[in-house]
Amino acid sequence: MRISIENFTKSFGDTTVIEDMSLEIGDGEMLALLGPSGCGKSTTLFAICGIHRMNAGRLLFGDADVTEVSSQKRNVGVVFQNYALYPHMNVYENIAFPLKVRKESRAEVDRKVQEIADLVHIGELLQRRPVQLSGGQQQRVALARALIRKPDILLLDEPLANLDAKLRLEMRSEIRRIQLATGITAVLVTHDQVEAMSMCDRIAIMDKGRIVQLSTPKDMYENPSSAFVAGFLGNPPIAFLEGTVADGGFRLANSRVTLPVPSGIELPGDGAPIRFGVRPEFFQPGNPLKVSGKVSFVEIQGREELYDVTLENGAVLRSIQAQSAGFRLGEDVSWGIAQDKVLAFGPDGNRL
Amino acid sequence: MTSSNFRSWPLFLVLGVISMPLVIMYVYLFVDTVTDTTAGSLIPDRFTLHHWRFLWEEPETGRVSIWTVTLNTFIFAICTTLINVSASVTAGYALSRLNMPFKRFFLGGILTLHAFPTITLIISIFLILQMIGLYNTLIGVILVKTALELPFGIWIMKGFFDNVPWEIEMAGLQDGASRFTVWWKLVLPQVQPGVAALAVFVFLSAWSEFILPQVLAPSGSAQVLSTYLSNLIFDDIKPDFNMFKSVGVFYALPVIVVYLIFNKQLMNIYGGGTKG
Amino acid sequence: MRRAHLLGLGFLSPALAIILMLFLIPVLLTVMFSFTNMSTATGISGGAYEINAASLRKLSDAGAQESFVETLGKEAFVVDDAGITAAAAAYGEQFANEVGSQMLGERFDSRRDLERAFRKLKSRPRSTRDIKKAADLFKRSVLNVRFETAGGLLDAVTGNGIEMTPDQQELLTKTIYTGWTWTSDNFALMAQIPYVWRVAGNTLMYVVLTLAASVGLGLFLAITTFYLPSGTATTFRAIWFFPRILPNVIFVLMWKWLAWDTGFLSSLLGNFGVPPRNWMLDTGANAWVFIVLINGIVGASLGMILFGSAIKSIPQSMLHASEVDGASRWQQIRYIILPQLRWPIMFICAYSTLSLLTSFEYILLSTDGGPGGATEVWSLMAFHTALDNYAGNLQYGLGAAMALMLVIVGILASLVYLRIFNFNDLVAKPRIEQ
Repeated sequence: MRISIENFTKSFGDTTVIEDMSLEIGDGEMLALLGPSGCGKSTTLFAICGIHRMNAGRLLFGDADVTEVSSQKRNVGVVFQNYALYPHMNVYENIAFPLKVRKESRAEVDRKVQEIADLVHIGELLQRRPVQLSGGQQQRVALARALIRKPDILLLDEPLANLDAKLRLEMRSEIRRIQLATGITAVLVTHDQVEAMSMCDRIAIMDKGRIVQLSTPKDMYENPSSAFVAGFLGNPPIAFLEGTVADGGFRLANSRVTLPVPSGIELPGDGAPIRFGVRPEFFQPGNPLKVSGKVSFVEIQGREELYDVTLENGAVLRSIQAQSAGFRLGEDVSWGIAQDKVLAFGPDGNRL
Repeated sequence: MTSSNFRSWPLFLVLGVISMPLVIMYVYLFVDTVTDTTAGSLIPDRFTLHHWRFLWEEPETGRVSIWTVTLNTFIFAICTTLINVSASVTAGYALSRLNMPFKRFFLGGILTLHAFPTITLIISIFLILQMIGLYNTLIGVILVKTALELPFGIWIMKGFFDNVPWEIEMAGLQDGASRFTVWWKLVLPQVQPGVAALAVFVFLSAWSEFILPQVLAPSGSAQVLSTYLSNLIFDDIKPDFNMFKSVGVFYALPVIVVYLIFNKQLMNIYGGGTKG
Repeated sequence: MRRAHLLGLGFLSPALAIILMLFLIPVLLTVMFSFTNMSTATGISGGAYEINAASLRKLSDAGAQESFVETLGKEAFVVDDAGITAAAAAYGEQFANEVGSQMLGERFDSRRDLERAFRKLKSRPRSTRDIKKAADLFKRSVLNVRFETAGGLLDAVTGNGIEMTPDQQELLTKTIYTGWTWTSDNFALMAQIPYVWRVAGNTLMYVVLTLAASVGLGLFLAITTFYLPSGTATTFRAIWFFPRILPNVIFVLMWKWLAWDTGFLSSLLGNFGVPPRNWMLDTGANAWVFIVLINGIVGASLGMILFGSAIKSIPQSMLHASEVDGASRWQQIRYIILPQLRWPIMFICAYSTLSLLTSFEYILLSTDGGPGGATEVWSLMAFHTALDNYAGNLQYGLGAAMALMLVIVGILASLVYLRIFNFNDLVAKPRIEQ
C-alpha cells in the first residue's frame, strides 16, 4: 500500500518537531527514516501509526485519507525498539492477541499463528514466555505479532538497537527476507546508516525535522546533497578539508597548498570558504594528486587497515587500505586523492 | 550486608537490650492468654483456656457477640479494600496515562490530599453523617474510610502505572485493541503486584482502624473489633488483662497471618509508598 | 471532547465522587461549622422559637426590660376572630355576633376583666360557669408554643396585643432561638481560654519529642540492622516493624499492661521494694515518657524501613572501597551512609510533623490527655470539645474552629510539600495522543 505524507507538521507544546514535511512511499517499498536522535524520525513513525496526532497536514494510505482514523483502524503493524511483548502472555498468546481482539475463531487463530510462526522461524517456541527468549527470538515474536493480521504497512522502530552485534547482522537479513516474502510496505526508523543502507530500497535522511535527502542508498552514498548527508553515510566516515576558493582552485586553510577542483563544479568567487570531502577509499598511495602528512593513527581491522594522516595545516584525512600495507605511526607519507571522487561543499554545507 | 571487616556481636547486644521491652510485651501478650499468674509474680504458673471464654460464652446483656463484631470487622475491611482498590486502579490509570482536561489540577489535588491529615475532618464528617442519616451504620464508616485512604491509593497506583512501558500500550493499540481493552488485558496484569500490595495495605489499615468506628458508629450493631476491645478495656473497673489480651490476640491474628504471607509487599508499600 | 477524554474522566469519576463527598465537602463544612455555635443543645438541624420559663430567664439576663418580659410571660384574653368562631359553636351565633360587634380587638389582662365585660352583654350565657368557659375560649398565650420561624413568633406575640419596638423584637428572636446560629465567637473564645495555650505548648512538645525519638531510633535501627547478618537483621526488623501494623488498640493495651499498678513494671519493681503504682498516669512526666515512647516507636518503624531501603541502595562497592581505605565503622556511617539519608530524613520530618500535629489516636487510647490535662494536645482537644466530653454538651462549633486551625496548617504544609516534591516532574504528558 502506498503511503503519502502531505505537509505534515507536529509540535509538542511550544517546540515544533516537524514542519511541513512531505514524503511518498511506494507500494511494497522498504524505506528507511535515517537521522541522528531528535531529528523527528520516530515522531514521523508514530504519526503514521496514529499514536501521535498530526498538527497539520494529511496522511494517505493508498487513496484513503487516514489522518483522523484511530490507530486501531489503520491496520498498521509496528515492531518497537524494546519489542513490547506482553510479559504475562506466552508467545502463542502474544501473536494471537490481535486476532483475539477481532474475535476470530479458535481454529482460524491456530492456523494463522502456526503459519506466521513458521515464516519467522519460531514454530517451536510458542509455549514459552517472553522472558525465556533471547533478544533475537523476542524480535521474531514481535515481527510475527505485527504481521499476523496482514497489515497494509509494517513500521519498525529501531528494531535492531537492542541486539548484540552478531544477532543484528542475522536479523538484518531476516527482516528484509520477511518483508520481501510478504511484499508489505515497510518503514524502518534507525540512526544506524549501515542498517538503512543494507535493508532498504530508499533512504530518507532527516535532520532537525526536515527530510534532507531522499534517494536510493547507492545514489545517496555517491551523490550526497550536503556535507551532513556525506558525513552521516559511510563507515569509516568521510574526512573534510577546510579551505577557500583561490584562482579557480581550492586553497587549504593555513597552508599554501592549492588543489585543483573536480570538473563540472561551479565555484563561488575567490576567497569564499568551501569544504572538500574525501572518502577513505579515495585517499590511497597510488592516486596521482598527492598531499603529504604524517600518519597519526593506525587501526588494524584484520582484513583492512585504517589510517589517519595529519596534514601540515593540522587537517586530518582518512584512508582505508588492504591489509599488509604496513605503514607505521609517525611515518611521513605522501598519498594521493582520487580527484574526480572529491565532493565539494559550499559555505552553507550544500553540495556544489 | 555481611562485611567481615566489622564485628557484629556488639551491635547484636545493644539491639537486643533495646528490643527487650518490646519482646517482653509480645511474649506476654501471647503467654498470658493461656495462663494464669499469681498476683505479684512475673512467671505464669497455670495453664487455662478460661480467658478465651468470650468465644463460646453467651455475651453479657448489653454486649454484642464477638462473632457479630468479627463479621462486622471483616465486612468493613473487605468492602473498604474493594471500593478503594477499584477506585484507585481506575483513577490511578487515568492520571498516569490518559488525556483529559484539568489533569494538572486533579493531580495536584490528589497529591495535596495525600499529604493532608484527614483526621482533622472528623468533626464535620460526624455532622455530615448525622445529617444524611448514615451515622451509626457500617456503610457510613466504610465510605469515610475509603475516602480518606483514597488519595494514598490513587497516588500509589499512579506510580505503579507510570512504570509500565508505554510501548506495551502502543503495541496493544496497534494490535487493534481499544483503550479499555488495553488497560484491562495488557496494563492491569503488569501492575498486579501493586494491586496486591495496595489491597493488603488498605485491608490492614481498615482492620486496625479505631477512631472512625469509635466516632461514627459507636453503638452495638455496627461495632468492630477495635471499638469492642477498647470498650471492654474502658468499661471494666477491675481490669482483666489476660482476657483483654485474648481478645487482642484474636483481633490481631489476621494481621499476623497477613504479615507472614505478604511480608515483602508490605515492606515495599510502607517503604516506597509514602514517598509521595 | 475526544473519546479518550471521556474514558479518562470516566475512570476518574468514582474516585472523584467519593473524594468530593467525604473530603472536600468536609473541608468546607469545617470552615462553616467553625462559624456556628452548634452544640448538643442547639442540635445540628434547624431550631425553633419558644417562650418558656427558661427562655424568659435568658431574655431578662440578656437585658430585656422587666415589664416586657413580664408581659410576654403573662397570659392574656384577646377578642379575636378565632375566639368568636369558637364562641359561636359553643354558645350560639347571637352571643358571638354581639361579642364581635362590641368587643373585637380588645385585650384583657385577666379573665375576671373579660368576664365582667361579658356580663354586660345581652345574649351572654346564663350560668357563671358558662361565662367562665366562654372567657377561656379567648385565652391567648405565647408560652410553651413552638414556632418554626421568627415571623410566626412575632405575629403571635403582636396578635396577643403586645406591642414591641424593633429592638425588642430583635432581642426576643435572638435570645429565645433554640437552634444554632452563625457567630464568630469561637475564635475569640479560643484565644481567651488560658488552657488553650497550655495545649498549644503540649502540642509543640509532643511533635518535637516524638519526631526526635522516631528519627533517632529509626536511624539507629536501620544502621544497626544493616550491619547484622541477614537472618538476625530480619528478626530485629520484624520486631520493630510490628508496632506499625499492629492495631493501635492492641499496641496501647500492651503498654497499659506494662504500666498498670498490677502490671509488669509494678510487679518487677515490687521485688525491689518499690510500691506498685500506675506508671503511665502517675505523674505528668511519666505520662509524657509513655506518650513519646509509644508514638516514637511507631514512627521509628516507618523510619527504619525508609532509611533501610535508602541504605540498601548505596552501591556495595562504595562501602567496600571505604573499608579498604581504612574507614572505621563510625567513619563509614558518618561519611558514606548518613549523607545518603539526607533526603529520606527530610521526608520523614516533613511527613511526620504534619501527621503528628493532627493525630491523637495513641494519646486518646493511652492517657486520654491525662493526668489532669498534662498530655492534652490540640487535635485531642478538638476531639474532646466536639465529640467526646464528660460534661455532655458537645460543642461542635467550637471543636470545628479548633480543627480548622489544623486544617489550615495542613493545607499550607501540603502546598509547601508540593513544591518540595517538584510537582512539574510528576506530570508527564501522555505519549499516546488518541
